Amino acid sequence: MSLLDGGFRPGGTSRNRPHGHLGVLKIAVIALFAILTLRLVDMQIVDGEGYRQRSVNNHIAQTNILPPRGLMVDRNGVPLVENVPVYSVQVIPDLLPEGEATRYAIYLALARPEMTEVPALQIQEMVRAAIEDGRGDQPLTIRKYLSKDQALTIEEASVDMPGVSLAIEPGRRYIGGEAFSHIVGYIGDMTPEDWEQLQDEGYLLNEPIGISGLEARYESDLRGTVGVSANEQDAHGALIEILETKDAEPGSTLKLAIDANLQNFVAELLQDSLIDATGDAKVAAAVVMDVNTGELLSMVTIPTYDNNIFVNPSDENTAAIERLNNDSRKPFLNWAINPAAPGSTFKLVTASAALQEGIITPETGQFAPKVLSVKGENDELYPLVDWKDHGYINLYDGIAWSSNIYMFRSSCGILGETRGLSNKSGATYDDAVILGNYAREFGFDELTGIDIGGENPGLIPSPEWKKRAIGEDWFYADTCFMGIGQGDVLATPLQIARMTAAVANGGTLVTPHIVNEILSPSGSLVHRIETSTKKVDVDPEHLAVVREGMHRSVIYGAGLRAGVPGLDIAGKTGTAEFKDYDAGGITRQHAWFTGYYPFDNPQIVVTVYFDLGVGGDKAAPAAAKIFDYYAENIAP
Amino acid sequence: MTATTWRRESQVLWRGWDRFDYIMLLAAIGLVVLGLLLINSGSQEEYEGPLVSFANPVMKQMVFAFIGIVGMFIVSRIDYHYFIHYAWPLYAIGIVSLIGILLIGDAAYGSRRWFDLGPVQVQPSEFAKIATVLALATFFSNHGGDARDLRTLALSLAIVIPPAFLIFVEPDLGTAIVFMCIWLGVVLVAGVSRSHLVVMGAVGLALLPFVWTFAIADYQIERVSVLIDSTSEGRALDEGYNVNQSKIAVGSGGLIGPGLGEGKQTQLGYLRVPTKDFIFSVLGEELGFVGCMGLFALFILLLMRGIRAAQIAGDTAGQLVAVGIVVLILMQAFINIAVNLSLFPVTGIPLPFVSQGGSSLVSLFFSLGLLQSIIMRHRAYRQT
Repeated sequence: MSLLDGGFRPGGTSRNRPHGHLGVLKIAVIALFAILTLRLVDMQIVDGEGYRQRSVNNHIAQTNILPPRGLMVDRNGVPLVENVPVYSVQVIPDLLPEGEATRYAIYLALARPEMTEVPALQIQEMVRAAIEDGRGDQPLTIRKYLSKDQALTIEEASVDMPGVSLAIEPGRRYIGGEAFSHIVGYIGDMTPEDWEQLQDEGYLLNEPIGISGLEARYESDLRGTVGVSANEQDAHGALIEILETKDAEPGSTLKLAIDANLQNFVAELLQDSLIDATGDAKVAAAVVMDVNTGELLSMVTIPTYDNNIFVNPSDENTAAIERLNNDSRKPFLNWAINPAAPGSTFKLVTASAALQEGIITPETGQFAPKVLSVKGENDELYPLVDWKDHGYINLYDGIAWSSNIYMFRSSCGILGETRGLSNKSGATYDDAVILGNYAREFGFDELTGIDIGGENPGLIPSPEWKKRAIGEDWFYADTCFMGIGQGDVLATPLQIARMTAAVANGGTLVTPHIVNEILSPSGSLVHRIETSTKKVDVDPEHLAVVREGMHRSVIYGAGLRAGVPGLDIAGKTGTAEFKDYDAGGITRQHAWFTGYYPFDNPQIVVTVYFDLGVGGDKAAPAAAKIFDYYAENIAP
Repeated sequence: MTATTWRRESQVLWRGWDRFDYIMLLAAIGLVVLGLLLINSGSQEEYEGPLVSFANPVMKQMVFAFIGIVGMFIVSRIDYHYFIHYAWPLYAIGIVSLIGILLIGDAAYGSRRWFDLGPVQVQPSEFAKIATVLALATFFSNHGGDARDLRTLALSLAIVIPPAFLIFVEPDLGTAIVFMCIWLGVVLVAGVSRSHLVVMGAVGLALLPFVWTFAIADYQIERVSVLIDSTSEGRALDEGYNVNQSKIAVGSGGLIGPGLGEGKQTQLGYLRVPTKDFIFSVLGEELGFVGCMGLFALFILLLMRGIRAAQIAGDTAGQLVAVGIVVLILMQAFINIAVNLSLFPVTGIPLPFVSQGGSSLVSLFFSLGLLQSIIMRHRAYRQT
């Protein structure tokens, strides 16, 4: 009891009076809690909103859902691409189990051929680098483009491998065949530069983008809208509640003007026609276009390749890309939109210009022997050369037989006898400039505006250009060569086709386009691509004369072999000389044919180009087969 | 037993209870109740068992609170001079137990702090704190209650250094700091000469770099540097994780918070140890600034009542024991909350009366019993 009653009296000196000052302790209590209060005011009242946002970021997980990319079909609805899943294995380093040995066991498992075939050491290095860069909380792609079997194996095994997951991203398979590779293009991963630009447009880092062809040009239509799902999740990543989901909207479908059957037919035809007695061509191109709407029914370039090699980068495909890159024929170039000397096909421009400028009439006669010697600027004799002795001919036959000398008469004039386009004597500069302007009227020396990239504007020379680019003066002969599409004139098959269409339709320069319609995923029309047009400053009656010359060419002239029994075709051949530096600088010839059908009510223009050959013998017969196919299978 | 003896016995039994500081007890019970609410809220993610079960941290805490309060009443009935009388043996037991824990204790989070005794874990540092307070008070009491003499000051430091060092190497930096603060508080009240304090402060500062280099464990440096740069990438998921998440929790509470059980940081498991070291973050998140101010008010009330006990203490020993206990509670509360507010590196100090933990709660109520014993006996000595 005495223990509890306070009666205990300890000995010693402890009963002295206390004398301490306790004010300092009170101050300490108040001061320390004041510090804490100030900090609380700062955190909760001043910065409270910021912390609340961080809390939201913590527990609200937003997942972006990539939309299915828009499809492409030909003019008849034949599918040209399909969407396929791309399987990749990802590792989130922060979610890997503790302990390097445990982790390495996972790397070793992943390295097995039925999973990724990526060496364990390499995975370890990738993970280490990611953690060092502070990306430990981000998914790290160990290997993309897994086979379906590999994907399934990983899907199953990832249950026992924390931090490892299978990711499925949208991918492409191109099913239209090699004839479509240059048109369709391909998709691929963004480069860091792309990412800089595209992240502001709401792109995601793992989103594929169009790299070339229609895939690139119509990216905004094909992409669709990224969907979002927002979930509340706890610290272990377990789903607590689904907050909102916005579905991804698939991209629009492109309905092409191209007829897939025609496209494949033309591609095969050109491939089979490469080699003949007039020269072993290495490359070829052809354009089939509606003369009024600019719709491209076919656009072929040879050689081609399989664009699937770009969307499924296996070792094999990487080697294939390397091989194609080193191919001297430049298979990745689209020769339909890359230029060559157009040769006699350009005479359609020259004839139109001469008629419009009034220096000739359809009936103007000209003596056109094989060689006509004229006196040049320095009283030297110039031999004006034609490919055969035409005798005395008018414009119709000048076109029909593709007479060089008649076209000299129509452009540079016959020195000492007639004046050139400027109708002034000794004004060869002016003659060249006038011809150049007509060429531009017909769409040369500029891009056609076709809806894929990689187009080259070609070249229409001028005295000023020659001085600047080559450093030489412009001579009379330069104007003459220009008049027959030689010298430095460069044009693409598409430009030739466009010019031919303008002649055929009475002077309207159309803008060619591959895509006709943009359709919603359900198939309804979103937008129709209309051609934009420009009037060519040549009177329709003059163009009618040129058309008559083209008509006669196919009936009895140089373009005879473009004729098809029962079809009324008009056209113009071209055999353009060029120095083949690949073959040691010898002079060789490009083969051209451009024409349209039917003659009295033009529907389509066909332009065919081979890098080696004679126009009338190689390009014209190929064009004939295309006209035949069109009349047989497509014409309304 | 006659009526007279019964009356006398009952008078003896109830003597001093009219002076019992109920306000102090109510403040402590207020803290415990708030703690129970927060433990309940903070344990919902982890605990899914029945409500009435010793496995339920809330029930467990209530049981310890009950034991603590009963212990407090018992201790307050005992004259604190008994403890003063046995201060040195108690101090010796404290030191031995601290050595023992280094040899055979159970480790958690990289440090040895517990004896595992079946269902309960005992933290000898809790006992050692009170033993050291008693030893210091006894020492100064025997030296005329005066710290002005340099030799006395140095000797008093020699009392505090061994337990502080043993706890420091556990490692438990925070509790070691609490020990040094207890010493500082006691010597300030015992009238230390300012020049001595300045000199010792200067020596301490000069030694700090050596302590940093040789004595502080890597994890402590890590914790300190995490505090400085808690959001730097890569670390955010390790040490900085706790610091970051507690900051987010407290900050997101705003003025009044979303209410108990509604804090996302707490309820979705982003906050770690939300019933122990980071229980203040639960309060900050769920009850906001207002809730925190309520907690501060309870602490200030409790501490002021403790200071009052020191003021009215009947002798130097009682006064210094009261001072030591006030500083003990003050510094633990301050460091714990400072950790929660990212003002101090993570140390593992519980929030007195609030955090889940039996050893701490029981020993805190034991300390309150000492204070009550001092209060209840002040007049008796003045009358003698």
